[in-house]
Amino acid sequence: MKKWIFFVLCFSIFLSGCGNSAGKDYVFAYEGTEIPMHAPAEGILTALGEPVNYTETPSCAFEGLDKTYYFGGFYLTTYPGDKGDCVSGLWFADDSVTTPEGIRIGSTQAEVEAAYGTGGFNGTNAYFLTGEGMKLSIILINGTVGSVQYEAVFS
Amino acid sequence: MGEYYVNSGGNDVIFIGDCEVYENFSPVTLWQEYGIPSYIRGSAQQMIWQSYYLLEETLQYETPKVVVFNVLSMKYDTPESTGSPTRREAYNRMTLDTMRWSPTKWKAIAASLTEEEREWEGLLTYLFPILRYHERWSQLTAEDFAYWLRRDTVSHNGYLMQTGVKPMTDSYASAPLADYRFGENSWHYLDKMRLLCEEKGVQLVLIKAPTLYPIWWWEWDAQIAQYAEENGLLYLNMIESIEDIGIDWNTDTYDAGLHLNVWGAEKAARWLGEVLREECNLPDRREDAELSATWSKKVALYEQEKQSRGGS
Repeated sequence: MKKWIFFVLCFSIFLSGCGNSAGKDYVFAYEGTEIPMHAPAEGILTALGEPVNYTETPSCAFEGLDKTYYFGGFYLTTYPGDKGDCVSGLWFADDSVTTPEGIRIGSTQAEVEAAYGTGGFNGTNAYFLTGEGMKLSIILINGTVGSVQYEAVFS
Repeated sequence: MGEYYVNSGGNDVIFIGDCEVYENFSPVTLWQEYGIPSYIRGSAQQMIWQSYYLLEETLQYETPKVVVFNVLSMKYDTPESTGSPTRREAYNRMTLDTMRWSPTKWKAIAASLTEEEREWEGLLTYLFPILRYHERWSQLTAEDFAYWLRRDTVSHNGYLMQTGVKPMTDSYASAPLADYRFGENSWHYLDKMRLLCEEKGVQLVLIKAPTLYPIWWWEWDAQIAQYAEENGLLYLNMIESIEDIGIDWNTDTYDAGLHLNVWGAEKAARWLGEVLREECNLPDRREDAELSATWSKKVALYEQEKQSRGGS
């Protein structure tokens, strides 16, 4: 079943003109709505409901807008794809949301390593985990998680 | 960018940088208020290595007294760090395709290629753009040929006039960074700019334009301030002077605070002109009859466009 859902997701991304493929690794979900990077934004935004806040930024030279939606616990950003907006990033605003692996703002470094292992540690203050078409960054501030960010990677 | 070549020479100030220079400062105001002739060599998302080579090229045409460089592009350390490679290539071409052929342009292209472009020998397509666009032949329209034969002037000494008004109603959010240190490549090109200016006897002034997004982190500001202090450069973070400049986010921006409209750009130029006059001892050139005649035509065109687009 999971494979089938993944196939449908990939196919819808292909149809959306979002360009890059979205991986199944490290996908954040909020109240049952999965938010993969590069996924078409329209359905996700409908499922998430009215944002608390919204801002948009035009590029210096291209048509279309980069958009930022604030949903209380997290920010979601989109970029203009060929046939509609696509998810470009997401970051936690407070400790009310967690990754599917159980990490939130305020989690300890030990909890991060229990959830994700030690492989992505940069040796100082962050874990960088990569999946297909995306990067998950977990930044430590004073020894605990200060920021969790999902970011679309372009190839 | 390409309009520079017919306007080169006689400029006391050259601006170099991204859209934060060509949308936020009015050279006409600098002339009208202070008699400072200037030109903006700005382009969309201009990378610092492109800024350096544009500076190198500019100094082959003229030797201004001051070069003003907007430091926002320090945040991008490599061509890959700017996001989508498709956009990167398009931005590259906006800067590079308009440069005249010279060894400097060659070096600018080589520094700008993304890894992906290197893989498919992108360098050749900058040399011979037809290789990049040959598949478009069947989509060409009369407009393409008209543009090829004749390009109307779109800027006022490099300044792109915007007369719309879209107030900034909300602040912008950005995710924090894991590492706020600028990359080695960025520092390398800033050093090259500084050394080239020193060699040519040009005063380099670093600025951060007075707009609020993309966010200019205080950690970045501190690094530039330290660099400026260590190297005896003037650094103006104009965000700190927004109140003095008099920018009103209800009336002086056309895109909710990312860039200024013409009224904002005139205010920013008025403030900067005062500082440049005082700190860089720039003379008032309005007594120069030849220069004055040239600029009176520029001023007339500027005022005409401003009025026709709803300004006053």
